[in-house]
Amino acid sequence: MSNHLALSRALADLTGNPEQSEAVRERGHCVVLAGPGSGKTKTLTTAMARVLTEEVFDPRGVACITYNNECAIELETRLAAFGIDGSDRNFIGTVHSFALTQVIMPYARCLAGLLPDEVRVATRDETRAAVEVAYAAVFDDQFDPHARWQFAEEKRRREVDRSLAHWRGRNPELADYIESYEAELRRRGLIDFDDMPLIAYRMIRDHAWIRSAIRARFPILFVDEYQDLGHALHELVLLLCFAGGIRLFAVGDADQSIYGFTGANPELLQSLIARPDVREVRLRFNYRSGAKIIRASLGALGEERDYRGVDAAPEGDLFFWKVKGDLDAQASAIANQTLPKLLERHPAEEIAILYRAAWLGDKLAGALDQTGTAYMRTDGNALVKRSSRLARLVEGCAAWVAGGWRDADPPFARLAMQALAIVYGGRCSDAENQALSGQLIAFLRSGIDGGETTHAWPGSGACAGI
Amino acid sequence: MRLAKLSIRNFRNFEAVDIPLGGNVVLLGENRVGKSNLLFAIRLVLDPTLSDAARQLKLSDYWDGCDLAASPQIEVHLDLADFDGDDAQATLLTDFRTAADATVARLSYIFRKKAEVAGPLQSAADCEFIVFGGGDEARSVPSRVRRRIALDMLDALRDAEGQLGSWRNSPLRPLLEDAIAGVDRASLDAVAADLDRATQALEAFPTVKALEDGLRSGILDLAGTAHDVDARLRFAPADPLRLFRSIAMFIDNGRRGIAEASLGSANVALIALKLAEFAWRRAKNERNFSLLCIEEPEAHLHPQLQRGVFDKLFNGGDPAQALIVTSHSPTLAAVAPLRAIVHLKFSGGKALAYSLANLPVTDDELEDIERYLTATRSELLFSRGVIFVEGDAEEALMPAFADAMGHSLDRLGITVCNVAGVNFTPYVKLAASLGLPFAVVTDWDPLDGTKPPLGKARTLDIWDAIASVTGQAALTPEARTQWAAADFAAFSKGWENAGIFLNDQTFEVSVANTPALLGALLDILSEQGFGSVCTARIAAWRAGAPVDAGQLLAMIADIGKGRLGAKLAKKLPFGQHPPAYIAAAIEFVAARV
Repeated sequence: MSNHLALSRALADLTGNPEQSEAVRERGHCVVLAGPGSGKTKTLTTAMARVLTEEVFDPRGVACITYNNECAIELETRLAAFGIDGSDRNFIGTVHSFALTQVIMPYARCLAGLLPDEVRVATRDETRAAVEVAYAAVFDDQFDPHARWQFAEEKRRREVDRSLAHWRGRNPELADYIESYEAELRRRGLIDFDDMPLIAYRMIRDHAWIRSAIRARFPILFVDEYQDLGHALHELVLLLCFAGGIRLFAVGDADQSIYGFTGANPELLQSLIARPDVREVRLRFNYRSGAKIIRASLGALGEERDYRGVDAAPEGDLFFWKVKGDLDAQASAIANQTLPKLLERHPAEEIAILYRAAWLGDKLAGALDQTGTAYMRTDGNALVKRSSRLARLVEGCAAWVAGGWRDADPPFARLAMQALAIVYGGRCSDAENQALSGQLIAFLRSGIDGGETTHAWPGSGACAGI
Repeated sequence: MRLAKLSIRNFRNFEAVDIPLGGNVVLLGENRVGKSNLLFAIRLVLDPTLSDAARQLKLSDYWDGCDLAASPQIEVHLDLADFDGDDAQATLLTDFRTAADATVARLSYIFRKKAEVAGPLQSAADCEFIVFGGGDEARSVPSRVRRRIALDMLDALRDAEGQLGSWRNSPLRPLLEDAIAGVDRASLDAVAADLDRATQALEAFPTVKALEDGLRSGILDLAGTAHDVDARLRFAPADPLRLFRSIAMFIDNGRRGIAEASLGSANVALIALKLAEFAWRRAKNERNFSLLCIEEPEAHLHPQLQRGVFDKLFNGGDPAQALIVTSHSPTLAAVAPLRAIVHLKFSGGKALAYSLANLPVTDDELEDIERYLTATRSELLFSRGVIFVEGDAEEALMPAFADAMGHSLDRLGITVCNVAGVNFTPYVKLAASLGLPFAVVTDWDPLDGTKPPLGKARTLDIWDAIASVTGQAALTPEARTQWAAADFAAFSKGWENAGIFLNDQTFEVSVANTPALLGALLDILSEQGFGSVCTARIAAWRAGAPVDAGQLLAMIADIGKGRLGAKLAKKLPFGQHPPAYIAAAIEFVAARV
């Protein structure tokens, strides 16, 4: 049951921000352009809550596609405040998960010959092996198959609709390479991650009944971080929303082009805004940063935007620290000089260190370890990966043992559900459910007041059991 | 959305049945053939009120012929179709589409030995049940699907009065609660005040007051002051919000309570209220499809009332609602859409199901059959065998012939079906679809001899019609050519095995040429008091004038078949056989019922 009071409060909250209000109440296709810190997640979740209260009724629901699992979990948490639980009515997850669970798993078996009867997702070793087999079949030379595959992969992700002329018109040998690779995977009963949206795209394009089944279940599609989601999602959106009758509510940041190295595609977002049937809303207020920081970021962007801070918000400070030397010297300077100064004025959990890639994180982590500074790392080399369901479960379990059990924060039911999903993939008998749930609560209760740390868990038998 | 197919394996009376369904279902069959078990099978899949304990079956629920050592499983599969037109229904069922046909969703129940139990099945504790969809055990059916595609059961021993009378179970309750919620508090208070005045007036009557005081002191005496419940006699509770719970249904313009209604009226009221409740639940978005199962809905209903009620129920055309009824009522069967009929028969230790959902006839033929069934009060649907004839005279004489041969068609459950012409094929398809043994008695119709006899093509077409239902191959062109060349003797002999009996003359001539029969008929006719012309003709035929068969049979048809049969049975000497092809047809069906 959704919480009407929470929704009306959230809607009242937005009255000071006309753009957010307008976006949340829009009943047609809507694209919200928003810079960092402009409250776009709040806009998105409030719009979802409003739609689920006023427009889309049980058993129908809405789908929300996010950049990664971490964003999905964040959204789920925020929606829970509106009384919207992660029920089977709504979908919240990545485009790959959407393609797999909402299109391929339910419908692929209805289309004879599309996929082998039993398919699973290929491991990294299996995809590499398939690349090598395909390379030998198509090129038959002594060069590195994987180097060539990078180009093929780019083509594969970008040219979603293979019925168009340029699939074979440009780099036909790469098309052969890709098709040969995919055939090899199928022969082994495998699909890979890039296959998921591609297969879903073809299924939706070729079968009107699948479009209509998805529209029946999800009359409205929400997309977060649109600019990061790539060509396959864009093509899916065009099919589902503009050809298939689903309403679109997308949120994105066209300026994230400055993060081009992450594979963002701001031009896809621009092409949506250019459509006459799409309402464009720009969020101008920046709730996160002081005016100085906003001005500095506009300077870095090199473009004029009317982003502005909230009235009465602190100005913010901007300091430049010069460091002579290489990256190691910079890391050391941050650990030994910058950070201690900041810690004088701010609690540790308010300080963030940004860098471009995980290997730079290694340098910083090394420097921080040397100074004995406690930190939480969230990049790709972090021990606890933010997108890992297992890591999230371990984290949740730790929070529960460390006192969360008193206030049900997190609730045990959620932990048990996550554990079941990890162990059985959502398919288990009542007996298995009870057995696992029983083991988990016994294990967690034994840890309460035990003075243990989660550091010991990864090596212990209990965790290996999960 | 509609029910498209039901498959059952190894459950109670059923070894293996696959029953095509045509939306609504009218389940016919003799007592104890398994009608209620079939309903229970559907409940295993759909009924949201059935507990897990009830879904955990017992070993005695296995079909008797099961070899438990082979660890068989009980299976129920229900196929649903045409749900894509409704977004909510599509949402609920889209994950359960079958691999073979994406427009059909399947919900299944399976009861079987647990994987971890080694050795043969010892007890029900060794077993588990699963409910899943799409023919894929990994797709469990969430409870909201069963809540929103719900089944309600009115069983044969339902207590209509009791259900209507108790507030808790009454289908009236949610409707009343909803209606009262739309009344403002001030108006409710006003009604409460009015009732309070009426109560005071009541209490002002000395005898009532005396009774109330007497009761109060009696309770006080028993319980003591500490537990005084402050009992009072009232029309309704004084609390305005509880007031409406004393609202009840009255009949006869409010003069009598439902408890005083006939059982029949109470049943009609209960069914009507159930349907109102379904509509209300849909409007409240609690449900998206309702399946109402009623055992013997005809109970206590006069046939005319049955016709009216069930015509509305079956032909209401609501795509969010379906009806499954079990019945022994020919009246109900007559108004049911033919494609809704499912006939259960017991044979060889198991129940067999015959469904008319996919009866291969055109819309016009379907209408013809339905008209025929209405006119004959659906006698054929309840019979055990059928003899198809061309006209009134055969229909009238066939029972008498059978009696003379020592067979009572009534007692054997054999119906004589007069197709009024020679268009046998739709009726033959009907009988074959119902699994009824049947014979066709038809004329050779040689015409003038220049063209092939009409009876030939007719016979071959009848065979193809049977084959289209039973799944046998139709005649090849070569076989047709061969049969076309056969003479009457070979042709008629050859088709006797298929139950098609040919007469090389017309029926009229055959009768007139059977002397013992002619004598008996003329005796009966002369007792009828026909007009002068007919009386003169009868006298002439008695005197030996050549009989005009057409005139003779016109008179026979006038008498009416029931009366003629009875009279003829008395006059015809026992053992006096009718024309040979008719005798053969009767023996053919009698041997198979």
